[in-house]
Amino acid sequence: MRHFIKLLAVLAVLSNWSGANAQDYIGAPSLEEAVKTGKLPPVAERLPTNPRVVNLAAMGRKPGRHGGTWRMLIGKHKDIKLVPIYGYARLVGFNEKFELEADILESYKVEEGRIFTFHLRKGHKWSDGHPMTTEDFRYAWDDMLIDKTLGRSGLRDVLLVDGKAPKFEILNETTVRYTWDAPNPNFLPSLAAPVPVYLVMPAHYLKQFHNKYQSKEKMALLLKENRVNKWRKLHKRMAREKKASNPDLPTLSPWVTTIAPPADLFVFKRNPFFHRVDENGRQLPYFDELTLSVGTASLISAKAGAGDTDLQARNINFVDYTHLKIGEKRNNYSVRLWKSGKGSAVTLLPNLNVKDPVWNKTLRDVRFRRAMSLGIDRHELNQILFFGLARESGDTMLPQSPLYDEKYQNAWSKHNPKLANKLLDEMGLDKRDSDGYRKFANGNRIEVIIETAGENTLQSDILELIQDQWQAIGLKLIIRGSQRDVMRRRAIAGLAIMTIWNGLDNAVASPDMSPSELVPDSQSNLQWPQWGIYQSSEGKKGEKPNLPAVIQLLKYADMWKHATSTGEKAEFWDEILNIYSDQVFSIGIVNGALQPVIVNNHIQNVPQEAIYAYSPTAYFGVYMPDTFWFDNQDNQ
Amino acid sequence: MLSYIIRRIFVMIPTLIMISALIFAIMEWPPGNYFDTYVAELEAQGEAADLKEIEELRKEHGFDKPPVGRYIHWVTGLLHGDMGYSFEYELPVQEVVGSRLWLTLLVSFVSVFFTWVIAFPIGIYSATHQYSWGDYGLTFVGLLGLATPNFLLALIFMYFANIWFGISIGGLMDPEFKNQGMSMAKAISILEHLWIPVVIIGTAGTAAMIRRLRANLLDELQKQYVTTAKAKGLHPFKALMKYPLRMALNFFISDIGSLLPAMISGAEVTAIVLSLETTGPLLIRALKAQDMYLAGSFLMVLAGFTVIGVLISDIALAMLDPRIRLQGGSTK
Repeated sequence: MRHFIKLLAVLAVLSNWSGANAQDYIGAPSLEEAVKTGKLPPVAERLPTNPRVVNLAAMGRKPGRHGGTWRMLIGKHKDIKLVPIYGYARLVGFNEKFELEADILESYKVEEGRIFTFHLRKGHKWSDGHPMTTEDFRYAWDDMLIDKTLGRSGLRDVLLVDGKAPKFEILNETTVRYTWDAPNPNFLPSLAAPVPVYLVMPAHYLKQFHNKYQSKEKMALLLKENRVNKWRKLHKRMAREKKASNPDLPTLSPWVTTIAPPADLFVFKRNPFFHRVDENGRQLPYFDELTLSVGTASLISAKAGAGDTDLQARNINFVDYTHLKIGEKRNNYSVRLWKSGKGSAVTLLPNLNVKDPVWNKTLRDVRFRRAMSLGIDRHELNQILFFGLARESGDTMLPQSPLYDEKYQNAWSKHNPKLANKLLDEMGLDKRDSDGYRKFANGNRIEVIIETAGENTLQSDILELIQDQWQAIGLKLIIRGSQRDVMRRRAIAGLAIMTIWNGLDNAVASPDMSPSELVPDSQSNLQWPQWGIYQSSEGKKGEKPNLPAVIQLLKYADMWKHATSTGEKAEFWDEILNIYSDQVFSIGIVNGALQPVIVNNHIQNVPQEAIYAYSPTAYFGVYMPDTFWFDNQDNQ
Repeated sequence: MLSYIIRRIFVMIPTLIMISALIFAIMEWPPGNYFDTYVAELEAQGEAADLKEIEELRKEHGFDKPPVGRYIHWVTGLLHGDMGYSFEYELPVQEVVGSRLWLTLLVSFVSVFFTWVIAFPIGIYSATHQYSWGDYGLTFVGLLGLATPNFLLALIFMYFANIWFGISIGGLMDPEFKNQGMSMAKAISILEHLWIPVVIIGTAGTAAMIRRLRANLLDELQKQYVTTAKAKGLHPFKALMKYPLRMALNFFISDIGSLLPAMISGAEVTAIVLSLETTGPLLIRALKAQDMYLAGSFLMVLAGFTVIGVLISDIALAMLDPRIRLQGGSTK
């Protein structure tokens, strides 16, 4: 089927574009005025010679018309960083099926998993009209990432293989190459990430803030003007592509910010030089403008219900669903239910680095973790808290992921108090006190204290239900409401026995994406923070992992890093998922929970059902909001 | 008088120093700092923070050193009029607060005015018609305003304003005016939205004011001179306005002390619920995120205004009420 679609696409391209000449491209009417007065070149000159053609019909969508404003609501001004995420213009990016595709790049080639050759589009331009060239790649690399001042915190881990940086070369006018000594499977996914590694920056604009290119006197003036004391800070502030906070910074995204914070309403305008067109030659994006209105976060669902937004999922939760439904008719929008891309809506994390020696020994015993998981009646939780609409599962991949396997979903996740009791008895925890709760060998009652971040009621509701269910297996659950940072700090310091947190962030992973979430990787892994610190600091801090199963996990993660083919990578992923679910390192409850998405009835091309996640979908990003359009005149 | 004022001003200095130390200590007290909050917030969304970069920031702002250094840095900055740097906004604090100050002053000003206009006549009426139906009825309404939590009133108002009048929910103007300069249409839009916060914030203050005015006035009304004035045939209105009301106004002047800081902070909770573009929500958010220079400098300004406000009200009282003596000490 895919080949067929590709063939269709090729045919469409051929029929439309064979000998395509400039007149075939259609620019946005809103820019015509500027073209007439000569402020902007005509559309054909704005586009690269070979723009990216998005064949909407082949995607099952309708090609559209230009115009309109996408209004959305944000809870704090910093959330304007969502626009570059929604815009999702990347060197290479994921498509709806989570496969990598060249986007800003015309094409790319990978050899031996370690030599990455990028071909740029000829005539590609920044949002200010300046040509985007290999010089911009060179600037981002030499003068930013490995510059001794700007890059002094060191390269990101994804750019290092065994601690070594790649060699960067410019092969010709439109070709650059990054070469490592060994394979780097993290490289391309990191370019396709919601917040990517920026390998190309507008050198023509940024040079004025770099002390290599700017005279001392002029720099002193600039520093004074911007009230900073070091050029490093100035450059950093001006070059924050991911935060969309500098209206002067040229970008490759579909929409460009026009307002610098602080403000209460942010307006993004179309990038006249954006590199994508639809099959009719209309330059994307369709929407002329995005407006983001800042208000209290908790008020967003109320405002959304009053029709103050055109397309919104941020700050809206399933609990708002009924209220949003009521406003549907009156305010001409519809609420779609997408699925969360998390491995589990919430998950219980036994802290394997807990300081208390008794608890440490207990939690590291896989029988205890399995018993806790078996003691949870997920069906009941699903019925009560999710109207039965979620899927009962361990914390693992969703069926949408090519790595999904039923056995991971069901591993130790079917309610079975009998088996749980048997496991606990086997551990020697068979003595009970007068209330029927189990006791440790030293006579203390087993009280599993689970700490919560205390910010959403779903977590405490779930814990209260589990409290009842665990009575049947003789475990006393105590809920300790805390606060996010405090809880994290206690977990990292080994003071918290267990915590409740989100499940895997990316549960629709493909073999090419990194499995780092399932192995000790950073201090944010609350089930093994100290091991995570050990791994991320290359053994300088933290504790060395000493649980055989975890050592196995790390071994496979390392093998994944050195794998060259997708087949090999899938194999290691399977091993990792298998160990992770069999060892119950995190106790998932349900996944595929529903995320309401509010869509103005006049907006076309928004998928009816989809996965909503930060990674890999970049929220709306992979569904290409630049191809959404209004079908009525009022909004155009 | 002059020496009194000078003495008071000198006392203000150690007071402010102590307040600054207290503010700083309380903000340093909870474990962690802005950067921890930031990392946790990113991770809650599933976004990975670049820990190397965060470490760099932490060092840059002196968070790897003991807090005394940061305190001195902050206070010397304040003395130079530099309120520090907001981590959350990545801008100097002045710029962050400045943009919201005017709307805050507008809301505060109008709501104080509203309170006075409502509370004054009612207070006087209640005092002169003590234990009448009018007294009970109006006091009841006032107390109702005091007893209903502001945020609840705000939610109810907002809902009906939207359903009945089609006023956009929250904010002080329709979204399309947010970035525009002042214009007729914008002013109208602001007026359309302004009455909701004003009524809500106002009603809470009204009840307290009615009760205080009523109590003070009642004290005066029973005094001999009022009886004498009436006996001499002075017009009842004049007999009320000229003497007892003036005597009953001391509380009003001493209120100026607390009024000044309230003016610039706005009613925080109401402002959050109504999503007003005032400084209140800014302060609360800064405190929550441990954006310490923004929160600290803001609190310092509030403290400064309180101290100055108290001074002003004391001087005003001394000038307006000859019964008050400046020289303290034993007057027995």
